[in-house]
Amino acid sequence: MSLLQAHNLGVTYPGQASPALQHVSLQLGEGDLVVALGPSGCGKSTLLGVLAGFIAPSEGSVSFDGQPVTAPGVERAVVFQHDALLPWLNVADNVAFGLKLQGVDKARRQQVVADTLQLVGLADVGRKYTWQLSGGMRQRVGIARAIASQSKILLMDEPFGALDAFTREQMQQLLLSVWQHAGRGIFLITHDIEEALFLATELVLMSPGPGRIVQRLRPGFSQRYRDGEDVRAIKSDPDFIALREQLLRSLFAQRQAEAA
Amino acid sequence: MSANEHTLIRIPDTLPTSQRSRRPLSPTQWSLISIGSITLLWWAITASGLVPALFLPPPGDVLAKFGTLVSNGYMDATLQQHLWASLQRIVLALLAAVAVGIPLGIAIGTYPRVRHLLDPLIEFYRPLPPLAYLPLIVIWFGIGELSKVLLIFLAILAPVLIATAHGVGSVSTVRQQAALSLGASRGQLLRYVILPGALPDILTGIRIGLGAGWSTLVAAELIAATQGLGLMIQSAAQFLVTDVVVLGIIVIALVAFALELGLRRLQRRLTPWHGQTH
Ligand SMILES: Nc1ncnc2c1ncn2[C@@H]1O[C@H](COP(=O)(O)OP(=O)(O)O)[C@@H](O)[C@H]1O
Ligand SMILES: [Mg+2]
Repeated sequence: MSLLQAHNLGVTYPGQASPALQHVSLQLGEGDLVVALGPSGCGKSTLLGVLAGFIAPSEGSVSFDGQPVTAPGVERAVVFQHDALLPWLNVADNVAFGLKLQGVDKARRQQVVADTLQLVGLADVGRKYTWQLSGGMRQRVGIARAIASQSKILLMDEPFGALDAFTREQMQQLLLSVWQHAGRGIFLITHDIEEALFLATELVLMSPGPGRIVQRLRPGFSQRYRDGEDVRAIKSDPDFIALREQLLRSLFAQRQAEAA
Repeated sequence: MSANEHTLIRIPDTLPTSQRSRRPLSPTQWSLISIGSITLLWWAITASGLVPALFLPPPGDVLAKFGTLVSNGYMDATLQQHLWASLQRIVLALLAAVAVGIPLGIAIGTYPRVRHLLDPLIEFYRPLPPLAYLPLIVIWFGIGELSKVLLIFLAILAPVLIATAHGVGSVSTVRQQAALSLGASRGQLLRYVILPGALPDILTGIRIGLGAGWSTLVAAELIAATQGLGLMIQSAAQFLVTDVVVLGIIVIALVAFALELGLRRLQRRLTPWHGQTH
């Protein structure tokens, strides 16, 4: 059973002639990692905003566990590219923030924070402030905060978009191990084709004008990583490369169709 | 043509010795240089005899006057009593401005309707010189302490209001959305995300407000005051006791500067993240 269901979503921003999002349907189950891939401006963040409950869709509906989604909710934690942490709190307090909001007692909070920091490899920096960390570490804090909260799914808007290629690759692996551990459904946005292919259990390719889904794939490389295969081996696998090229061609074809 | 001509920045392999050995001055040293130079200039002008003491008393006279005012007083009150009276008014006005300005600033920063409603009022009174509406305040509120504090309060209020509203309005959307998705209620969002995020601006507003408050002190103490630094300066000016005027100015400047330094320290303590790139 899918936890999150989006049915025929459409969003038209006020004063905008064409919709930012049209006819988008999605399902996200407990063990799913759905990745939305597409060029900038194709409505990815708009889609995430609707799923999170920040944006009311002009058409269609979203439901979580059978209940309609009309506002942000604790079961759908959002991780952004940057700027979302609280710089006046240290790392441990940032990670505990969701639990504190829910009134979870301190002893329990400390336990969860310790476990989560361990999971993302930040056990030593709990007392530091977020502005004292590198970009990659900050993103790990963001992920830890979302996992430590009582969320059932994570919605991630280009979480690794501001990181260098090396850190990005490490974070992708970290995300997969965390995903395995925490057993949450993840909806992730990226404009990086390799990242999308490597992570996704389901990949939806989006295209602008109006923002819509143009292709769906089930790559299955993340399962191979979970089964113990080496990242570099996966990313240099002929199947991986073939799919990557196919997606690239498809994206360029979209571009040209638009230009014509 | 040599290869050197294409080098945009040439890095000298050795710096000239004079540049290497000289240690840069600290900010405090720079400040001391400026204060010292002004005092020296002041002393030189008065010592040269070009300017009569009535127009500008020498530093030594002012210092001597300081001793007299501390022990004997001026206008039936010692310097400490004058200072204390003014300080009480300023602090009272500041507390009131903070108590009113922060909640109202939050409302203005949060609800566009409140902003549209209050913006014209604030912008109407803000540029007015306090001396212009002083008569009205006296007519409406009498010549007691209330009117004096009210005048200073109004001067402090505007910067606090505007800075708070700006701070609240500029808390990152992404940060707020992330907190909402972690289950924050409206109240929790305000308490844990918006207010701390606006704190650097609020503190800056208080600093600016306090400066504005000091600058209305003399006007406020025109209202039938019996004690206060502003009153002291005015009366001394009427009787051409220039050294008391200069002394009063220096005391106000020193006290205001001390408060400003305290607030800056508080700001650094409370908001160490401010100005960091993330
Ligand atoms: N608040 C808004 N008001 C008007 N137009 C918007 C707004 N947010 C996004 N858009 C427009 O909607 C389209 C999709 O934007 P977005 O969802 O941010 O795309 P992506 O995240 O894929 O880059 C873009 O053309 C963008 O300019
Ligand atoms: Mg986006």
